[in-house]
Amino acid sequence: MATVSPPRHYRAYRPRPFTAAERKDVTILFGGLTWKHERLVQAALENQGYKALPLPNIERVDLDVGKELTDVGACCPTTFTTGSLARFLRDKAKEIGPEAVNRNYVYMTAGSCGPCRFGQYHESYTMALDGIGLKEFRLFLLDQTELDQGAAAGGGLEMNMAFSLGLVWGILCGDLITDLEYRTRPYEVVPGATDAAVKEAVERMYQAFRSRPNRGRKWGALAWTLFSRYYTNALKDVRRIFEKVEVDRLRVKPRVKITGEFWLQTHEGDGNYDIKRWLEREGAEVVPPPIAVWLDYLIGLALAELEEKAETDPKARKKVRIVKLLQKAYTWSYNRLRGALSGIPAELPDQKVLQELAQPYYHFRLNGGEGYMLVGKALYAHRNKHAHMICELSPYSCMPNTMSVGAMANVMGQHPDLLYSPIEIKGDAEVHALSRCQMVLTEAKKRAQREFDEAAARTGLTLEKARELESKRPGLRSAMAPFPHHGAAGTAANHLIELARRSR
Amino acid sequence: MLRTWFGRRPSAPSTPRPAKDRSKLRVGIPRVLNVWSTHRFWTAFLEALGVRPENIVYSSDTSEDQGREFGKGRGAVDCCYPVKCMSGHYGELVFGQRRKLDVILSPIIYTLPSFLHGHVQGSFSCTRVAAGPENIKSGFLKEADVFSGNGIRYASPFVSFAERALMPRQMVKGLGDVLDLDLEEATKAVDAGFDALDEFNARMRSKSREILESCAREDRPCLLVLARPYHMDPGIGHEIEVNVQASGFPILWMQYFPLDSDLLEWVFHDDLKSGVIRNCFDISDVWPSSYSANTNEILWGAKVAARLPWITCVLRLSSYECGMDQPTYTPVQKIVEGGDTLLFKFGDLDSTKPSGSVRIRVETIVHYVRKSSSDIIARKRARLPADCPLLPRR
Repeated sequence: MATVSPPRHYRAYRPRPFTAAERKDVTILFGGLTWKHERLVQAALENQGYKALPLPNIERVDLDVGKELTDVGACCPTTFTTGSLARFLRDKAKEIGPEAVNRNYVYMTAGSCGPCRFGQYHESYTMALDGIGLKEFRLFLLDQTELDQGAAAGGGLEMNMAFSLGLVWGILCGDLITDLEYRTRPYEVVPGATDAAVKEAVERMYQAFRSRPNRGRKWGALAWTLFSRYYTNALKDVRRIFEKVEVDRLRVKPRVKITGEFWLQTHEGDGNYDIKRWLEREGAEVVPPPIAVWLDYLIGLALAELEEKAETDPKARKKVRIVKLLQKAYTWSYNRLRGALSGIPAELPDQKVLQELAQPYYHFRLNGGEGYMLVGKALYAHRNKHAHMICELSPYSCMPNTMSVGAMANVMGQHPDLLYSPIEIKGDAEVHALSRCQMVLTEAKKRAQREFDEAAARTGLTLEKARELESKRPGLRSAMAPFPHHGAAGTAANHLIELARRSR
Repeated sequence: MLRTWFGRRPSAPSTPRPAKDRSKLRVGIPRVLNVWSTHRFWTAFLEALGVRPENIVYSSDTSEDQGREFGKGRGAVDCCYPVKCMSGHYGELVFGQRRKLDVILSPIIYTLPSFLHGHVQGSFSCTRVAAGPENIKSGFLKEADVFSGNGIRYASPFVSFAERALMPRQMVKGLGDVLDLDLEEATKAVDAGFDALDEFNARMRSKSREILESCAREDRPCLLVLARPYHMDPGIGHEIEVNVQASGFPILWMQYFPLDSDLLEWVFHDDLKSGVIRNCFDISDVWPSSYSANTNEILWGAKVAARLPWITCVLRLSSYECGMDQPTYTPVQKIVEGGDTLLFKFGDLDSTKPSGSVRIRVETIVHYVRKSSSDIIARKRARLPADCPLLPRR
């Protein structure tokens, strides 16, 4: 007869409570966005009385640390982000000791209701915590689809409307600055001027978010965020900062739209081979993907699901009306913020249009990863001449993205003129990935030049003549000069047509 | 008078609509992915619409030959094998039929009819599995429309098995044109489909209970397979469990584990008593992100295996590059082994059956099951209440 031992049944990780009393001593760690977005999120958190610190930007070594600590086969964003958190905590533990790390830091990350591994990142994190001997460390999940989640896990994190709106508006403003940055840097006359302007702009917005007034936790905060001029005034300062940057928009460059998996397309650094900067060095203008589009996509998905339910459930009809109102308020707010920057940052694409464009290739209700957006955005940019080329970033072994990329084969079959470069990012195969991209970029460059030459022939303007016209209107050499789209994908071609119109 | 004018009843009897004749319609269904757990629904659904049973054609089990002959050059992207092999199934239905098909029905199964639904956060299909049809069809459309070129209409209804009330309308949207389907017909056919599926699942669970009862009576071990439904496909799961069964050990699949409350309350007695779980289907103690139906069921199966005495060994099957399984490897191992139960994992299964290594591992499994089962049964049995519902009451 075997001896009876008590069962050692496995239990999932549950963080110790993070209490309200601890707020003043505990630093909330977070990451996964660009340094600009993170700086503004940090300010929004500090404004709510939290100590907050973004994790250091991802480095190549994080991939190795992540691989060492998680189950084999994880996708590259999981591996990088897990490695980044583990490396920071391990270094901190060496500095102040594991108990102090467990006591003084918590990690906050976005959860998900989707079927992809994105919703299971925390499994990797907890495994890594186990691996570095910090099982007691606390990490909390934010539901990215809820604005008012109430107090969670001991009351230390109160995810009310004011808290969430601060985060969302921080992200929107981060997007707008990023949009200006990528429109400006390839054309800057003084090297480094754009980066300096971005830094100054982010700090200006950091101060604005950090010292935003308290207007209640729910409806007051909502009304103030939607209707006050606080953020638009701050963005007008950003406009003035960028106005000082001189640009030469007559440089012919292909516009490369970045699409793909959320983390990879947003990231700026080793996690995606710093591909945006690399493209710029190769002579391209990058069209970065705003996180605002992702948030709009989530609203669109919720709406589509509710609309289907509303066919059989009268209760869902009321929710449909609420979500439609939310969607309108969201787009209106984004446009209002854009307006403070002279409307130069790109507007949000209509999600219904993206769905319809993608529908023959990819069902709009398939919600893993970027779902229909990968196909929809590529076709939208192609048809509306917003870019010469699509560079799509997929993590190695990404489940939803491989499906969308497969559907793109059909898109390519029917749109052979679409320049599309799907890049699989493993994190450690840089040369292979970049050389693939470079092949398509070469063709995009030719197209940009051809388009510019055609615009020159059509308008009768030579480059020299255009420069002469520009010199008479020095305001047009400002990064914040009006930037109308005249049907060309390239900035130089559009600018040339604009100069021709003004000279009439 | 007014009642006649404004009443809902028509003043004259309407002529009954002629029944739509679908008896000659031939419908092909790729035998892939979650069709493995919903095929009874699809068969009964089509039969209820008047499609004759002999005209409902499922593609063959997956095989390398099938992929070579019918799927070559059709793959659009590299991904897990269970999705990748769909090209061969599509191709077989298009090119490999003696009598041509009229329709290929490849459903986009968004949510699943999981027995855990209502106790978990969601019952979604794997994101790749759901999107598989959209991915694979592109290989048959990118150069020319192979379906219409062969006189076939391709239909891919988006269906939410976890929300039955939505299904009739989803069928009309996805199949309305192809099958000339209206809502009334769809509602009846969906009901018939679910009845057939429920009946089949109940029958299979009852068979599993019989096996468990015989193991309990004879105090002998059985093995539980933790895998996704498509691992029942001999070309994907490579019949590994069949090799083990050949050594005399009964095999149960988690998908058809009995759900009788007497059994589950006995198995989870301590967890229920201590309040660790709210009910027998609660997996929040081991898996907080319970969105994916098949993953949830694997985690639940691991919990059962860790507690039920006569399950002395778990066979875990997982396909190459399975992103849904990847985060569960460690939790499943810890759950099963934490209950003093053997665990053998066959990971990264692909198109090729590694016969040699499977044979060696099967020998290892059989050795350990024979060696350790009586101790495992005794240890686990001693932790549970004496009154076992699998044994005849004294």
